[in-house]
Amino acid sequence: MTAVQAYPVGTVPAARSIRRFTARAPRGRGEGRLGALLGDLYTALVSVAVSAGVGLGAVQQLRVALPPPPEVPPPVGLSLPVVVAVLLVGAAGALLSLAGRLGPVGAGGAEAVWWLTLPVERRGLLRPAAARLPVLAAPAAAVLVTLLSAGLLGHTGAGLLRAALVAALGAAAVVLAAALVQSAGLPRRATALTGDLLMVAAPVGAAVLALSGAAPSTLPVPGWAVVVAVALVVAALAAVLDARLGRLPARTVRDSGSVAAQALGAVVSLDSRELGRALAGAVLRPGRRWSSRLRTVRGPATALVTADLVLLRRSTRHLVQLGVAVLVPVLVTVVPQLASPVGVLVAVLVAGAAAASAAADGARWAQMAPVLDRSLPLRHTTVRRLRMVVPGLVALGWSAVTLGAVALWSEGPLLDWLVLAVASAPVWAAAAVRAAYRPAPEWGGRLVITEAGALPLGALAVLSKGPDLVALCLLPLWVAIGVAAVTTPVVTAQVVLSAVAVLVASSTHEKGWFERSLEGEQRGRPAAGGAGGAA
Amino acid sequence: MATPAVRAHDVEVGYGAAPVCPPVSFTLEPGRAVALVGANGSGKSTVLKTVLGLLPTLAGTVEVLGRPVDEREADFRRQVAAVLDDDAYFPALTVAEHLYLTARGHGVLDAREHVADLLEEFGLADHAQALPVALSSGQRRRLLLAAGFARPRSLLVLDEPEQRLDRRMRTRLAERLRAETAAGGAVLLATHDPDLVLEVCDEAVHVDERAVEVVPAGEAAARIARVVL
Repeated sequence: MTAVQAYPVGTVPAARSIRRFTARAPRGRGEGRLGALLGDLYTALVSVAVSAGVGLGAVQQLRVALPPPPEVPPPVGLSLPVVVAVLLVGAAGALLSLAGRLGPVGAGGAEAVWWLTLPVERRGLLRPAAARLPVLAAPAAAVLVTLLSAGLLGHTGAGLLRAALVAALGAAAVVLAAALVQSAGLPRRATALTGDLLMVAAPVGAAVLALSGAAPSTLPVPGWAVVVAVALVVAALAAVLDARLGRLPARTVRDSGSVAAQALGAVVSLDSRELGRALAGAVLRPGRRWSSRLRTVRGPATALVTADLVLLRRSTRHLVQLGVAVLVPVLVTVVPQLASPVGVLVAVLVAGAAAASAAADGARWAQMAPVLDRSLPLRHTTVRRLRMVVPGLVALGWSAVTLGAVALWSEGPLLDWLVLAVASAPVWAAAAVRAAYRPAPEWGGRLVITEAGALPLGALAVLSKGPDLVALCLLPLWVAIGVAAVTTPVVTAQVVLSAVAVLVASSTHEKGWFERSLEGEQRGRPAAGGAGGAA
Repeated sequence: MATPAVRAHDVEVGYGAAPVCPPVSFTLEPGRAVALVGANGSGKSTVLKTVLGLLPTLAGTVEVLGRPVDEREADFRRQVAAVLDDDAYFPALTVAEHLYLTARGHGVLDAREHVADLLEEFGLADHAQALPVALSSGQRRRLLLAAGFARPRSLLVLDEPEQRLDRRMRTRLAERLRAETAAGGAVLLATHDPDLVLEVCDEAVHVDERAVEVVPAGEAAARIARVVL
């Protein structure tokens, strides 16, 4: 076969020299100087160290504040070490799910177009990409385990060091295992699904242990032999993966790189909705799927609600999120050391937000493509209210289970707590929909200078949409949990505030009433001043 | 007899398990050019991606240069150049550096001289030191096309190369592609441009959701013109 070549061709360069050229060419023009790199590294290290220190201090304070374990364990309950173990299993599942969705070996955008088409050794090109996620996961896992182990379990010294090392190596092993699955040509959604199932298995296992009364009261601290064994496993996985990198098809590497780039952009711009879309799109089944018959559609309103229901039914990730959100507060109420008003309140707050958010995916997609809402012959406010139906139903079920468990914990009348569950469910739905429809963060807005740096008010104002309703309109619920009792005034106040939350979330104005009033006043002021001046 | 550059036999292409068009069969010999024509969404780009190994075949066989498609092989990447509808660039590399990276990555010895010629030919000489962000969409398209010619190749695959090019550059591209086949190279392109089909191609594969057929270039150009007009 004739090769068309206008110039003489020699040997193909090594992959490393391609990577170096790509990195060094900009430096030759004064971009990306070493000083700037060292500055970034310094800032990152200091930030991580300060964050870890603050986190450790907070968790140790928590440990001091926690009551001692009961001398006689309750018949239905969990010890703190088991809770930590459950958290770690869930975190491992989350990491596996994330690694599966991200690839984890990816080269998107420019690297895919300009590198992967070269006849240089692909293994050398992909080596940094393959190392990136394990290297990031390892210190994150070490920090998490250090916080939990030192803060909640009181581990110190060599035991703490070994636990952190095993966590770091274990996290790297999880990511490397996901990469091996990718290199074997298996679909990423299989890895992601395994991680999701592990995330559900953690609280389910904990619930089984709590009910059976077979939960252990302590966690073993890993010995050096375990550290060495896990290190050997990591080394073996890394070696096998490295040998397989050259056989990774460009299409999987491109797909993974594209998802990683989208996810990174979402993180940098603090857009959790875009992050969710990136991670969900990563494991979509390619090609066509059977269309739902949409039997419940009777008109535009039921079409919208049915579409939201179908979306929730098809999203494994959100169903998993929902399952975990149901179990977490229930479990917290049966852990003697966590089942304080503050512990239960925090669990309800976090899990409630997660449950309602899981059911509001339809609203999030509609925010990205406004034509979806405009295509229906419905008023904008009606559309917003209809978008609250599915999150509302989910929140109702979640609240009934959760506040039922809270009723058992508070030893109060179950019916009172169930009435409060019904009264408070609309707030969760309203908050989820308000958060889903929030505009993109406004980074060009005013800055407020603080001792910790500049705060972009525009971005913060946008990010607070949704959580503001949870904080303010669920005050009666927080009071009820705080005093472990439900009263008629509390329920009445909750009903009123739920109506307010629905009204606020139905609004299609991007800015709040106060902001609009302020702007209107500012627009009017120069005109008035000018008139006065002219007079 | 020379080994065909591409031999596709009853190939079904698509995403997941669903084919996007009926089975495709055609042969592209060295020194010839074949166009894939058809309406938007008919599956032209999907066929190209399958030939390039970026999508697996759902059924049938594709051979490129006498061997089953495997883009993981360095030799495949050495011999097959592709210009798809990618619009991704290293933000910190200049136009000239992108072309130099491609040329040197393929082992071209006088890469700087070669790149200078290509910059001139594709009307990018004045933008050699520009970063991609400073280019217009047409200039970025020309950069991608120039990269396709910056390296040695036996088969050149182009996805709608006429997009975002002005009339003068389209004419120049047609001349370049004719020179490509005259030098013994094979060209496979998807296009909506009847002039490009007439001037460059020997025959065409008309891809349609009901049928796929190989037709003479003149017939393909006439079919495109009928749709356009």
